[in-house]
Amino acid sequence: MENKVLKEQVEKLAALVSGEVEEILGELVLKVRAPHIIETLTGAKNFPNFPCDFLHDLCGLDLVDHLEVVYQLSSLRGPQRLRVKAIVERENPVIDSVTSLWQGANFLEREAFDMFGINFKGHPNLKRIYMWDDFEGYPLRKDYVTEPIEVRNIVRTRIEGE
Amino acid sequence: MDVALERQLREDETLMEKNMLVTNLDKLLNWARGHSFWPVTLGLACCAIEMMATGGPRYDISRFGWEVFRASPRQADVMIVAGTCTRKMAPLLRRIYDQMPEPKWVIAMGSCANAGGPFVDSYSMLAGVDKVVPVDVYIPGCPPRPESLLYGLLQLQYKVSNPAKVRLMKHGK
Repeated sequence: MENKVLKEQVEKLAALVSGEVEEILGELVLKVRAPHIIETLTGAKNFPNFPCDFLHDLCGLDLVDHLEVVYQLSSLRGPQRLRVKAIVERENPVIDSVTSLWQGANFLEREAFDMFGINFKGHPNLKRIYMWDDFEGYPLRKDYVTEPIEVRNIVRTRIEGE
Repeated sequence: MDVALERQLREDETLMEKNMLVTNLDKLLNWARGHSFWPVTLGLACCAIEMMATGGPRYDISRFGWEVFRASPRQADVMIVAGTCTRKMAPLLRRIYDQMPEPKWVIAMGSCANAGGPFVDSYSMLAGVDKVVPVDVYIPGCPPRPESLLYGLLQLQYKVSNPAKVRLMKHGK
């Protein structure tokens, strides 16, 4: 019953931001294009009765012809769940940062930047989080080639304050 | 260096080896060192859980006198590298090793610390901590059971208590 009401609201939102709604294994998935992401998430955060106001997880995704950013939304005040996927171009992966909506997105976006090279516009501190600062390439992209073992066996010197 | 002085020093050294008191004192010190390791807690991944289990009451590392796990490298003399050492961690591992006072030993615990283990092809993996620090004992397993860690520490105890014998065994005599 709740799911039905939520679905209505998600569909209304999808029409507003020209997105698509799917239902996969009982989970609502809303696919939008990157420029509409702030609008979409602000809308989802302010759903009447069923606000999806908790950013559960944020991650990147490489689908060879394009990249995606996946936002898992839920709430501390109810069982509602919503998955929002934003399609990002591969050549110029830029998307608006959602740190203005959720402070917790800070580290999650840095991870997506580190692993997939997605640029989050408006992020307060966008730099690598797992890999070291002078690491080249984005290791979780499909076209990333791992360095040979001889190169990896060289122990790097640490940069102070890294 | 002055040649005469050097000869004098060398003669002193041979005399030292013949010296009853000093050799026996060395033996005593080695025995004492082997029977009271102070490991630094260097848990990097899941092997650390087994290391903690070894420290717990069921396997009880304190039976052997090695239970004094130190959080500071300056108070420790054996480093148990328990888990995956990434390339980002390697310089820090070396720094911790450098901060330990002499004499010091290193145990590589688990497949990752030995040779990279299942992550050997990963972009962030350092395949074996022996690229950074000199390793005395390798303990295989993924992760090794607490019995393995105890056996590895016993081997290190043997090595520390009998340095001459170990040197001979290494050269196949």
